[in-house]
Amino acid sequence: MWAKGGKHGFGASEKLATRKSGRLRAYVTAISLLLVLVLSSSAFFVSDTYLPVLCIFSGILVLHGLLLRGNISVIGRVFMVQLVITMSLYYLLHGQSQMAQGMIVVLRILLAFIPGWWLSVSTTPEKIAQVLTWVLPAKWAFVIGASIGLLPFMTRELREIYQVQCLRGARITPKALRDPRNWQELMTCVVFPLLIQLLKLSRQMAIAAQLRYYGKTNKPTHWQE
Amino acid sequence: MNKRMHFSLQDALFIGFCATLLVALKSMLRLKLGLSGHSMFLMTFFYLICYGVVGRLGAITACGLLSGVVAMILSIGKGGPLILVKFALPALAMDLSLIVLLGLFTLRWRCITVGLVGCLAWAVKGWVEDLLLGMTMQVALVQFGLSMLKGGAFTVLAASLVPPVLERLRSHDLLGDNLKSKGKI
Repeated sequence: MWAKGGKHGFGASEKLATRKSGRLRAYVTAISLLLVLVLSSSAFFVSDTYLPVLCIFSGILVLHGLLLRGNISVIGRVFMVQLVITMSLYYLLHGQSQMAQGMIVVLRILLAFIPGWWLSVSTTPEKIAQVLTWVLPAKWAFVIGASIGLLPFMTRELREIYQVQCLRGARITPKALRDPRNWQELMTCVVFPLLIQLLKLSRQMAIAAQLRYYGKTNKPTHWQE
Repeated sequence: MNKRMHFSLQDALFIGFCATLLVALKSMLRLKLGLSGHSMFLMTFFYLICYGVVGRLGAITACGLLSGVVAMILSIGKGGPLILVKFALPALAMDLSLIVLLGLFTLRWRCITVGLVGCLAWAVKGWVEDLLLGMTMQVALVQFGLSMLKGGAFTVLAASLVPPVLERLRSHDLLGDNLKSKGKI
């Protein structure tokens, strides 16, 4: 009896500790989101004199992202694309006189991009979703949760429909899609059946949720993990 | 998402699925095409489909907001939480333009006009961003013109594909529940 009671007590305290650590992680995610928002906005709004400070912060985020094995090539690609487009336009319109200003613009674009990249490397989608439920109405939080949860199903459906239509001879192979005249066929053969599936799925899910008394109370309950 | 956006659960779920699919397809196409402006193709298509299927004002804004939130959660696109503005602003502009255009033109031309308003909002957002980043007015205007040109072409293409899809959905009696009672579109 004692052993049983002790076991139960340990389980409850363990559950409490897990809940506390979960809440702590959610707070950390919320702070990360705010930090990313502030840093990304700062890239647009701070004057040139404060850019080195922002560069130091972004450098720290990049190092942290690298420690978490984030893919740095994404940042490199964004930097190169912006460098080519913006600098070419500056050269064509202003000559060599304002190339330095162009470089600062490219740097600012990069500084606006880095915090978002860091967030994607350091935080899991579930944690961001958990934080968003603090500010979103319960219905829309349910919709977002259901949509993200069903994303693998939707992509599988999309792939299957695409493969079947390719086998039937539809001109929707990657090579054929280089010609915009074939985009109409992609819509008819792939997107239209997919939309029918989505309509069916939303109807079934809504009925299933309502049969489980969804929407009867303002504060919905959740399955305990 | 106030009381004006009080959709039935089925409609809300459909909007959510469209938003998620839009974000997922956008991330896939970005890798394949690498063209700026192609995002307007998907945005216009899915936003207008949402409006067509749900059949009421606010559906496009809801889809835009959900797309932004989903993109933020899945960490797709640049800008972190600012990605919300990228999706929501064209959606809001499209919904606002629908208030004016609700009874005007045929469905095809209404879709194209509404899509182009969304494209304009998207290009203006890029222009303001460029100016905030410190770009000179000339370069920012050229970038704005390029965005409008490329985004506009994709928008017109997507908007002209929407009416046949809606027509086929209606012929399969899939839009009946929503539109019979509201008499929209």
